[in-house]
Amino acid sequence: MRRFSLSAWIWIVLAAVYFLIPLLATLLFSIKDKQTGNCCSLSAYGFILHDPVFWSRIRLSFELALETIVITLLLLVPTIYWVHLRLPRLRAVISFLALVPFVVPPIILVGGLLNFYRGSPQWFYAKPFGFLAAAYVILAFPYVFFSLDAGFRAIDVHTLTEASLNLGASWRTTLARVILPNIKVAALSGAFLTLAIVMGEYTIAALSAFKTFPVYIENVNETQAYPAAALTLLSFGITWAAMGSILLVGRRGGATRVQLGGGGR
Amino acid sequence: MEDFQEQEYEFLRRLDEDTLDRRKLLKRGLAAGAGLTILSTPAAALAARQKVLAAPPLIGRKVTLAEIVKEAKKEGKLNVIALPHDWSNYGEVISTFKKKYGLSMDEQNDQGSSAQENQALRDLKGDSRQPDVVDVSPPFAIDGANEGLYARYYTTNYRTVPRSQKDTRGLWLGDYYGAISIGSNGNIVKNAPKTFADLLKPEYKNQVALNGSPLTSGSARAGVFAAALAHGGSLNNVQPGIDFFKKLKSVGNFIPVGGSPQTVASGQTPIVIDWDYLNLVYTGEFPAAKWTATIPADGVYGAYYCQAISATAPHPWAARLWQEFLYSDQGQLLFLKGFAHPTRFPDLVKRKVIPAALLKALPSPALYSKLKFATAKQNADSKALILAQWPNI
Amino acid sequence: MATDVAAVGELRPGTRPGRRRLPLAWLVVVPFFAYTLLFLFLPAGEVLVGAFKGAHGGATLSNLSDVIHNPNLRDDYKTSIEVSLVTAGLGALFGVLIAYAAIREGTPRWIRSALTTFSGVAANFGGIPLAFAFISTLGVLGIVTVFLQNQLHYSLYQHGFTIYGKTGVEVVYLYFQIPLMILVIAPAIDGLRREWREATSNLGASSFQYWRYVGLPVLLPSIISTLILLFGNSFAAYATAYGLTTGQSVHLVPITIGFDISGNVVSNPHEAQALAFGMFVVLAVMMLIYIPVQRRASRWAK
Repeated sequence: MRRFSLSAWIWIVLAAVYFLIPLLATLLFSIKDKQTGNCCSLSAYGFILHDPVFWSRIRLSFELALETIVITLLLLVPTIYWVHLRLPRLRAVISFLALVPFVVPPIILVGGLLNFYRGSPQWFYAKPFGFLAAAYVILAFPYVFFSLDAGFRAIDVHTLTEASLNLGASWRTTLARVILPNIKVAALSGAFLTLAIVMGEYTIAALSAFKTFPVYIENVNETQAYPAAALTLLSFGITWAAMGSILLVGRRGGATRVQLGGGGR
Repeated sequence: MEDFQEQEYEFLRRLDEDTLDRRKLLKRGLAAGAGLTILSTPAAALAARQKVLAAPPLIGRKVTLAEIVKEAKKEGKLNVIALPHDWSNYGEVISTFKKKYGLSMDEQNDQGSSAQENQALRDLKGDSRQPDVVDVSPPFAIDGANEGLYARYYTTNYRTVPRSQKDTRGLWLGDYYGAISIGSNGNIVKNAPKTFADLLKPEYKNQVALNGSPLTSGSARAGVFAAALAHGGSLNNVQPGIDFFKKLKSVGNFIPVGGSPQTVASGQTPIVIDWDYLNLVYTGEFPAAKWTATIPADGVYGAYYCQAISATAPHPWAARLWQEFLYSDQGQLLFLKGFAHPTRFPDLVKRKVIPAALLKALPSPALYSKLKFATAKQNADSKALILAQWPNI
Repeated sequence: MATDVAAVGELRPGTRPGRRRLPLAWLVVVPFFAYTLLFLFLPAGEVLVGAFKGAHGGATLSNLSDVIHNPNLRDDYKTSIEVSLVTAGLGALFGVLIAYAAIREGTPRWIRSALTTFSGVAANFGGIPLAFAFISTLGVLGIVTVFLQNQLHYSLYQHGFTIYGKTGVEVVYLYFQIPLMILVIAPAIDGLRREWREATSNLGASSFQYWRYVGLPVLLPSIISTLILLFGNSFAAYATAYGLTTGQSVHLVPITIGFDISGNVVSNPHEAQALAFGMFVVLAVMMLIYIPVQRRASRWAK
């Protein structure tokens, strides 16, 4: 096997160019001085970082994201596992259902949810960790479903399950020690996407009157020029770092049992 | 109708100002005659008074400001929606209000549209987070009033709000107005355009933006109206305005991106057609962009926004206090500081309460005196025409 | 773990003996269905029903026929479908190439970690911030536009390009489409075993032959399934195109729905519901095409 591939590096460099230049353009604008329009001033970053609202909102959204990730994975991992193992005919139905959130515009979904749950207990209706999380799980469905589905497809669910059960393991052991470690990469992809959705969803939060981080971003974008660019990069960086930490946590958990992500399992 | 009501509440207010002294009441009871005999006994008067305070009043003058403040403080909070801090100086209006009355404010969906404001009243009905007050454009104020979303309230200064900018039932009233202006970036645009006709010049290729789409943004639609006035149209006929933008697009001058502080500061929208109170704020905000704003003499068009109180406001007294504050001289001058003309502008001028420096910073009052507002019907007709034609410009 | 290839297909559905097989089998998927019912179908069901309701109540097909007979709205669907097909196709292509480049042997491991986490962020980067980033890059005064003009004397805008046009929207959409592809396809690429590549090259096969007969057939079912996801992702996207064009130069269905529902100027909820129903139909048709293609691709893979 070649250790070095020219074509691989060409693609990586092209990707870096395409993905980084827009961020660079944002960066160049964010460090301009408001008075002179020249380089360089960090006051836009100071404005954001010294805004207590920034920190409280980002915290709320991050907690909301973790809750959404947990609920979504708890709902989808067993379902998709079971569908691959026992109910393959249901796969098309479920993948279709998972796509439906795409055709229900968030603006319609939020109106429907508010109507439908009007009068429900305040701990659900008036709390982001109730109402908003419930809606975000729906938004996460398509992404998490397709991530997990691709992950389950890449492993041989039948063989793994059968081997484990034949060796005397319980269902619980099979799930926890055989299946989960093998779909960890897919689950992590789904978790990343969910985190990013929650850190970026504006319409539902704004219309149901919850003040999440994206609502703050939108507000800064409409009213502040330079801090808006600074905020874009800060939120990009923070979300990226959050994903890095999920990756680390995820890796530490199962790396000893099954080698993650390597070419030769 | 309104005059009769004004007389009535003026009378009631004068009654209320006096202490509830038995002798005085008896005297007044006699004086007021049969119409007000119900007040002729102290018990009934007390009961009436308690009743007045039990529910928020219809008429601001019927209670004292101190009473409104007291009740509002009991509620402790005011929910508002779609009040951007850089829009007509709302940032300072909000902070002054909070400081003055010690109330906290829950600001939701700062960038919401008028439609979303009314929708929030429907969606969040019965919820403690429902907005107490809204600030919407006239067509939505009319819709909301007809739908029963708003409460009736005659603010203390109701009388000095121009007749054309208020609902006689007290369901809504105008709070501030502005005129369409052309802002331009002095670094990029060497000769700032002064009129709509100028905008078609080839030197402005890829430079002219609106503040959004006329299908969704009131200010963008106002830009179309102003362009219509500049090209032989009228409030009844917005067609020439649509044609103007068609032409602007075909010569390659129009860019569809919405003007915002970010695009203005970065120079990505070198010319923006927008409300005077936004373009004038940019002038001071971004010295590096050398932003200037002019009211195009060929297309003087203006529009106002309306305040209304939710019929099911979770904080009804605070909502009324908010209106009292906005329509006080102090509140109105705060709007003016943000270059938005407060609805009581003529009254403020008449009483000479506007600081000279503030007047000097505004464009010529002569242009503003030419301002005419579209009626509900004219708005609806223009909407239909823009809706049908704008997707094809 | 080396035995799993040999055992493919032994555990066929329904062949496993067990007493309460059927009810138990269905019980596991109940929470998912219950959840979608409670938080998606019941609340949003009104929308689909509303598409068939008249302004004064009563069942009607007029909302739908209004949409079908309005050439502007038909064009909206055309544009939406075209943008979604182009960005799904290109996003899938570049996504697979970049993901493979990052995952294959010989690429430092940190690149893969950086790429997947970056993709997680970028896949949901959107709205005004993304639009502004691209306006600053490829707008009339964007850094790339100015660079090309000054250094290479090439004017993008004189050659018909504009970031505010359909091509511009597609270029911007790829910013979240490619990362989505990378994230979702990475586990499948992990499934390509190094031994297969070694075996083919030991047998004297070229790189092209490896891809034609091994790599692609294995990946294809996942790629096709992810294509659907990418299509839907682009089809529903709203805020970015709006931030870029405010819906004035590129007319997409979700933007028109947004106008209908939340405009300061227009308000037409029934048209919005009919448009949403139309989107539902488009995705349903995509699914109908997808299922047989997917089945065939899966067979090919075996």
